[in-house]
Amino acid sequence: KLNIGVDTIQHGVEGLVYLLTESSKLMASIPFLDFQDSIHVLGFSDELNKSLLQLYLDNRKEIRSILGELAPRLPSYHSLEWRLDVQLATRSLRQQIKTAVTMKLHLNQNEDQTAQVLQTDPATLLHLIQQLEQALGEMKMNHCRRIVRNMK
Amino acid sequence: ILDDPDLKDIDPAVLKHCHAAAATCILEAGKQKADISAISTCLEDCKLDKERIEQFCTEYQKNKDALEILLGSIGRSPLHITDVSWRLEYQIKNNQLHKTYQPSYLVTLNVENSDSGSHPDVSFSCTMEQLQDLVGKLKDAAKSLERATQM
Repeated sequence: KLNIGVDTIQHGVEGLVYLLTESSKLMASIPFLDFQDSIHVLGFSDELNKSLLQLYLDNRKEIRSILGELAPRLPSYHSLEWRLDVQLATRSLRQQIKTAVTMKLHLNQNEDQTAQVLQTDPATLLHLIQQLEQALGEMKMNHCRRIVRNMK
Repeated sequence: ILDDPDLKDIDPAVLKHCHAAAATCILEAGKQKADISAISTCLEDCKLDKERIEQFCTEYQKNKDALEILLGSIGRSPLHITDVSWRLEYQIKNNQLHKTYQPSYLVTLNVENSDSGSHPDVSFSCTMEQLQDLVGKLKDAAKSLERATQM
């Protein structure tokens, strides 16, 4: 329909994609001016520059969230199921009362969900809770707050 | 036992039989959590004299707890969590995206296999909200445990 060669269109599309992803990645802190200055160098018409700017502003957030998915990642937490078990007997020993908490930890890794079955005893459970609560508390400490505030 | 100087005069085959018999007896007693009177009665039926029965029972009594712990630890179970470590980090940028500014936690659960083969620890990352969810669920489990023990 446009009567231009396939190659030209491909290059055009690739160029646009590069422009948008690089801009979104760097997220120029003063979006309007920086973006405009950068594309001005390319020597397009003012109208084209305006459309490009609009395109960038409209899609910036979505592009950033997609790029965010590409970063190296460890499996991330999805959810946890738990249940209480009491072991009453085994082949080797009768008449036991052994309490345990059995858990299923659901993790996400690159769009796959894995589930791992784990177990722990009551004492370790309380220890885990104490340690992780301490971890949560760290975010509220002054040190972390200062860093978060100053690095924006 | 085969190297013990006190026992060198006895035929090794007989020695082995005795050892096996004693071991079986002790393990069965341990498994069933038998009390002293039950063991004595059993040994009387086997025509052992009083002195020997008393010696056996005393030794058994001394080691009973250790035996129970040993027997209790045999068996399969899911990976057992022994400890947890965590790390709080604040991401500034990565090669796909600059200025990310995101705090995240890295949690590692140290696990142990009942077969004492080592197993890699379970690690995962999570946001503050996700960690709060996890801790909330663990606290629910702990509360249920408390309620169950009070019943």
